[in-house]
Parts: sequence; C-alpha cells; structure tokens
Amino acid sequence: MRDSLWMFDITETAHTLGIVLVAGTIMLVDLRLLGMGLRREPVSHVVSRIVPWTLSGFGLMFLTGAWLFSAEASKLYRSPAFRIKMVLLSLAGLNALIFHLTVYRRAAEWDDLPVAPPRARIAGLVSLLLWIAIIAAGRSIAYGPGYDQ
Amino acid sequence: MTREIVFPFFDWLGHSVVGETIRSSAMLIAITQIIHLLWLTMLAGTVLMVDMALLGFGIRRVPASRIAAELAPWTAGGLVVMLISGPLILSSESRKCYDSSFFWIKMAVLVAAVVFHFTVYRLVTRSEPPVGPVRASLVACVSLALWIGVALAGKMIGIYGDDLRKEGTPAEFVHSGPDAPHGEARKSVIPGAAPLARKL
Repeated sequence: MRDSLWMFDITETAHTLGIVLVAGTIMLVDLRLLGMGLRREPVSHVVSRIVPWTLSGFGLMFLTGAWLFSAEASKLYRSPAFRIKMVLLSLAGLNALIFHLTVYRRAAEWDDLPVAPPRARIAGLVSLLLWIAIIAAGRSIAYGPGYDQ
Repeated sequence: MTREIVFPFFDWLGHSVVGETIRSSAMLIAITQIIHLLWLTMLAGTVLMVDMALLGFGIRRVPASRIAAELAPWTAGGLVVMLISGPLILSSESRKCYDSSFFWIKMAVLVAAVVFHFTVYRLVTRSEPPVGPVRASLVACVSLALWIGVALAGKMIGIYGDDLRKEGTPAEFVHSGPDAPHGEARKSVIPGAAPLARKL
C-alpha cells in the first residue's frame, strides 16, 4: 500500500468515517446515560438499536486502522500520539466491558429513568471523554514527528 | 475561474490577525482542526440516527420525529461549532482552500446540505402523522448523501490540497514582514512542493 498514495488516502478516509460512526453512536449512548439526550427512550432501546452501527463502524475502523498501521508501522511505533491513542482505545474498551458486565446487567431497574444511576453516568462520562481524547490523539498523529501535515 | 471575484476576501482572511495567529502556532492549528472533527462526529452521529429512524432501521417503534426532536439540540450545536471552527481553519489556510477544488465542492455541498436540513428534512422529521416510508427513505438518503459528501470533500481538501494553484503563485499567504511568524516551516510554503507531503 505504501506505493499507492491513492490507496492510502481511500483507506484513511474510510478509517475516518469508521471513527465517526463509532464515536458518533457511542457518544449518543453516553449522552443518554448522562440524561443529556434521548431522555424519553429507554436506555436498552438506545443501546440495542445503536450498537449494531457502533460495531459495524468499529469493524471498519479496526480493519482500515490495521491496514494503515501496516503501511507505516515503524513511524507509528515512534509516535507518542499513536501510543496514547492505543492506550485510550484499550481504556474505552475496558470501560464499555465493565459497564456491560456490571451496571447494565441490572438495566431493567433503571431503563426508563431519564437520567441513569451514578455508576452508569460515570461510565457514560468516562466513555465520552475517552472518545474525545481518542479522536484528538488520532488527529495528533499527523502533527507528530515524521509527518508534514 | 470565477473564484477570482472572492480573492480579496481570502487574501484579507489569510492576513487577518486571526489567520496569522492560528497559522503561527502548530498547537492552534491542531486545536481548531480537532474541535472541527469532534463536532463533526456529533453532527454525523445525530443525523445518522435520525436518518436510520426514517429508513426504518435504528430505534424502531419510536417515531423519527421524536428522535429528531430529542437530538435537535446536539445536531444544531454540532453545526454551530463547525460553522465557527470551519472559518477559523479557513483563515489559517485560506490560500490553500482558495486553490483547492474540493474546498469549493465542499462549500457547494454544505450549502445544499444546510438548506435541505432546515427545509425538506425539517418538515419531514416534524411531520405529524409521519410521512410514508418511501418519502421518508428518500429524504433520509438525500440527507445522508449530502452530509457524507460534505465530510468527504473536507477530507479531500487535506489530501489533495491546492490542486488549482497556478504555476508561480504562492502556496500560502505568508506574512513577510520583519516580525513574520517563525517556528516550524509548513510544507506548503515551499514553492513547488507536492501537495501531498506524506510520502514514506
């Protein structure tokens, strides 16, 4: 892929679209948990209907991301922004996992509340902040060493 | 090209205090672009959810009008932040945008998307009772196509840069006085530099 800038650009664009899909949908779930949007919909509705989009976006983001990584692995390995992004991404995954294994198990008890209980709100806030940071870190890779733009 | 008519505006914007300030700081350039991207995510996420509801995917059993109403503040917020951060980015690279065909495509599609959003789309997502599935799907597809078009064209500005630039014209409005901003030289200042410097 290194030989074809055209290919690289398409992959990068698809990667950006994938992130928009993942982060855009996750942020909506986060806002629902925080009681800042979709307050009238049960949380389980929002989650079950949005998650397929999140997962497809994640699939796209992961595949294109791995491909982009393979094209400039050594440069990315040295990029602090890239390392930070990977750590944040793992934390976001961990946060989602903990949320689904704990508070969300008992979602039936608070499904219709406009604002979720504190632990779910914390998960929502953490997720929101992590995704903002992931996007910022991802964009920052391009400003780091080895890149001109 | 008729874009010459608006050249004075781009020239002024590129040399404005705001443009000079942002351009002189790699951090400010990054911050404006990151804010723009973040709120694009919010805008795209909310529009996508409403479009999916119109298409019959997404949050079923709930009318699209309700989803649209609940997400409207976030969609509007995303648009407002993007319409502020966008011109800031433009001021920092106005010459490049002026010379980029994708910039003009983006502006055209953006105007179409905004007009569509606040007219046809607004009527359909607020309609009581909801419009039929065919019309709803059609409107959702147009909305998706327009917003994706805006985002893609935006991405292409970064990738293909100043493709309309004529030989011998400057790549950027560079402040050339004694107090010219220094720091890291940006790639497009170098005359004749390839628009894409991300070569490996």
